[in-house]
Amino acid sequence: MDLIPILRSVELFDGLTPEELGAVSRLCQERSFRAGEVITAQGEPGQELFIVCEGFVEVVLSRAQNDPTPRAMVNLGRGQIFGEMALVDYGPRSATVRAVTDGTVVQALRRQEFNRLCETNHHLGFIVMRNMASDLSFKVRHHHLAGR
Amino acid sequence: MAEVYKVSYVVRGEDHPGAIANVEARPNVGDHIDLGGRGFTVLEVFELIPPRGDFHFLHVTLRPDLEA
Repeated sequence: MDLIPILRSVELFDGLTPEELGAVSRLCQERSFRAGEVITAQGEPGQELFIVCEGFVEVVLSRAQNDPTPRAMVNLGRGQIFGEMALVDYGPRSATVRAVTDGTVVQALRRQEFNRLCETNHHLGFIVMRNMASDLSFKVRHHHLAGR
Repeated sequence: MAEVYKVSYVVRGEDHPGAIANVEARPNVGDHIDLGGRGFTVLEVFELIPPRGDFHFLHVTLRPDLEA
């Protein structure tokens, strides 16, 4: 699969050169999920950032351990990223993320390799971190509008 | 590159978490859309923040379609 057109339509990579997009694509690992399958689990260590390429994922938050009624916070579709918090703050996963639809496809970027790329190419590193902040800001705006 | 519309969807009338997704065409009021296998009607569309390059950032309010 040619990942470049897909990555170009992801805000996280807006502003990268074709060569930089190529470098990112070489780090991507594709994974497919069925509806209901867990991709990341709240509280577990996280070492990857994910990009939704097909389908939808659901972000679910438990307020306490063994919470009987975890709350769905948002669904993320094509072009959206998740797992970025653990990538930048090295903390545990802040929420559980599971596939909503059969055939949900994501690309995974490992923290160590991705950070190394950002450190060796400062233009790429600046663009990606700026866009990641912008994406987090967009999610906060959505959260406020959704009233959840 | 073609324009990309990054959309914040909020659903009115039921307890739904809403969604964020990229689409290739700007949604319009009255459009019927599919989110994760469910149908919705677009009630409202506005620009959430100014566009940057080829990216547009929209907020869309939805109403669930009646189940068949």
